[in-house]
Amino acid sequence: MSNERKKLLLVGDNPFHGISHLSQERARVRGDAITHAEYDAELVMTSVENGADGFMFSVSETTLSILKIIREMEGIKSLRLYALVPYAYEYVRLATQVGGILGLAKKIAKQIAVSGNIRAIAMGFKGVIRTDPIALMKTYLIYEISRIKSSAGKQANLESVLLHEIITDMALALNLDWLFKSYVDFMLKLGMKPGFETRNFSHLVKKFREWNINFNKITIAAPFNKVGFQMNSSKTECERALANLPESHVIAISILAAGYLRPSEAINYIRTLSELKGVVAGVSKEHHARETFKLLEKNLA
Amino acid sequence: MKILRRVTLRVAVTGLGKMGLLHASILNTLSNIELTALCDKSALIRKFCKKIFNRVQVVDDVEKLSDLDLDAVYITTPILSHFLVTKTIYSKGIARNVFVEKTLASSYGEAKELFGLAKNFGGSNMVGYMKRFAATFRKAKDLLNQETLGDVISFDAYAYSSDFLGIKKISRTSASRGGVLRDLGAHVIDLALWFFGDLEVDSAKLEPLGERGSEGSAYFSVKKSDGLEGRLNISWCMKNYRMPEFGLVIRGSEGIMRVNDDKVELKLNDGKSSRWYRHDLNDNVGFLLGTPEYFREDECFIKSVLNGGDAEPSFCTASKVDYIIDQVKYRAGKNE
Repeated sequence: MSNERKKLLLVGDNPFHGISHLSQERARVRGDAITHAEYDAELVMTSVENGADGFMFSVSETTLSILKIIREMEGIKSLRLYALVPYAYEYVRLATQVGGILGLAKKIAKQIAVSGNIRAIAMGFKGVIRTDPIALMKTYLIYEISRIKSSAGKQANLESVLLHEIITDMALALNLDWLFKSYVDFMLKLGMKPGFETRNFSHLVKKFREWNINFNKITIAAPFNKVGFQMNSSKTECERALANLPESHVIAISILAAGYLRPSEAINYIRTLSELKGVVAGVSKEHHARETFKLLEKNLA
Repeated sequence: MKILRRVTLRVAVTGLGKMGLLHASILNTLSNIELTALCDKSALIRKFCKKIFNRVQVVDDVEKLSDLDLDAVYITTPILSHFLVTKTIYSKGIARNVFVEKTLASSYGEAKELFGLAKNFGGSNMVGYMKRFAATFRKAKDLLNQETLGDVISFDAYAYSSDFLGIKKISRTSASRGGVLRDLGAHVIDLALWFFGDLEVDSAKLEPLGERGSEGSAYFSVKKSDGLEGRLNISWCMKNYRMPEFGLVIRGSEGIMRVNDDKVELKLNDGKSSRWYRHDLNDNVGFLLGTPEYFREDECFIKSVLNGGDAEPSFCTASKVDYIIDQVKYRAGKNE
């Protein structure tokens, strides 16, 4: 099956955070070089020169520094930005250090207060007084979006803000339809496409249909790869769910199954999924960036 | 053991930190579970939970779970409270089936008492040593069971994270996690016991973390009556371990095996070698939250409750981890 139009090609940030889902050992061996923001910014821009359209990133100090450098290189206008919030693994680590969820909440509240973002502070205050989870979610989103904008600048094209898989999948498991709906409404009001990263794609599609969430208005990022890695509950179920979503904006992540597959194998599989609107690929070296995106552009155009 | 007649189990979770929320979420995806009640000491957490969970009772004390006709309770409170909370669940007749996050208790004495209680009350009991449900460690266990390595001679095991790297002062709550042995090391100790059977601590050294005196690193050696020897290195102050990592190198008369969270590598003396990544080991689950092992663990416990069978690792099995930790502390104290 061939694609009628070019798929959106995004650079992923996992290697910049020292993440390898194939092997943590491999991530360590890659070492510190790759976690230098200047180097990472160059990799993103090299990818763009070779066919990438944008950058999908978790909002962290590392990626904000990368965005700042790209902005200084005057490359920000050419990037379509897809942000993932929160950077869950950093928060989990922080929770371990500061003593659980309450300690973490205090720490984030302090960061928001120090940021001086009046809108976020006011909404957060309301959220705490009324114990209103929606107000707190909005506070956090305003805070994160303002961080992105202050690093990437006004010219940045922030197309979508996606909820990180931990939040999406936990809310999905708990059937929190009101949270998903509030998030979608709030992001649309801000003029951005609401998005969801998930490792339970088929389950998410089923639930969103039940809850009448409009697939045309959202972005979904989910694993799609030849070996079914992280395609829960199964590869077949995920493919079936995707086939029934022709008008949606689904972006495939983990297309290389975390480095388990060769790019050509990965591409051959992705080409069979015409409903996919884009793919994300992480790169850790300059020649990777050139080869991977050249190959993706050539084969997914 | 009795087989439950009920098709849908009424389950409560007590302790709503990250592990409590994770188990509550996974349980809610299982078709035969009704998440009935949540319990937490924090008024703020309870307030938010009441807003988030519409049809779930939210209480501040375990005893208030008494009248809810529960089939099972998950205990995900801090380790120091496991003993009292578990005792209350049994003694007040709140539920016969109990899941406790690791470690079972904060000493072997307490763990033994809980094991005795569980035996008296019947039902299923299980402790959250979820690494047993990781595809790679299960593969390693299968290979050991098949005696692929021949006679096992020695092993080196590690549990590392960077969680407290460079941190001089830790919070009171973090300190209450029980130090690196209980928080991180317990998993790899359980894996060693699962792979090799009962072990005795030979020598041990602990390194403190911060001013509150809990240990930040632990190094100890173990031995078995048949001559097997092992060394375990545990630290949450290691560089470049963004995620906690667990692994073992196992040497046998026929070859060597390396296993960690990501892969299993086997090198036999006859020159044959094999490698399996998670990808090769059918790692998908019904619902993925955190890592696949949490789903498998909860599914296993719930199945055992429904079928009236024993779940593993049971309180009895898990109490051996508490025994090793006590031994390490005792030996390290002697060496000081």
